[in-house]
Amino acid sequence: MAYFKITLMRSAIGLPKPIGGVLKSLGLRKRMATVYQPVRQDVAGKIMAVKELVDVQEVEKPLTNAEMRALRRPDPGFYVESRGVQRFDTTE
Amino acid sequence: MFGAFRPSGPLFGGLLWKIPYRLSRPQKYRHRQRLKHVDKVVATVDAALQKLGKPVAAVERWKEEMPTEAEMLAKDKYTMFDKKVKKYRKGIHKLPKWTRVSQRLNPPGF
Repeated sequence: MAYFKITLMRSAIGLPKPIGGVLKSLGLRKRMATVYQPVRQDVAGKIMAVKELVDVQEVEKPLTNAEMRALRRPDPGFYVESRGVQRFDTTE
Repeated sequence: MFGAFRPSGPLFGGLLWKIPYRLSRPQKYRHRQRLKHVDKVVATVDAALQKLGKPVAAVERWKEEMPTEAEMLAKDKYTMFDKKVKKYRKGIHKLPKWTRVSQRLNPPGF
């Protein structure tokens, strides 16, 4: 099942009240927040109502907040030496 | 000389334009990027619905009526109809919240 990955890029401050309501119903509370919604007609209609404010991608599977955070984490550039043996173990 | 109480035209005068009558080049560039971004959002939603096989009226109507950024004339991108203005055109940046609303169509003939 496909999902829309929706990120709020622009705030609805100062726009008509119903726009804020649409964002709330999508689960977007503050700028740069990301939510996953299933690809459905009602969700598509909501996205069309706020298309100037959001960024949308179609993805196969929703990610949790922890998974999205892990993706943003930079490569530490090192590994702990004591685990190196297991890491480079080619005997198996 | 400087600061909030400097004697400048807009602060001391009555009716003085504070919004320039035309967009600057970077403003126009950013405006085009915003138009393209909206096109991209609609295309993404449309592609997902095509796979689902269920059309949505809002998307179909947008596709039918609205020109994409590439199809739009420069005149329609950067200016909009206004009956109160000489020659019936004003800069699109005079539209309230112009960076967050879609204004693509103008009356035919204007």
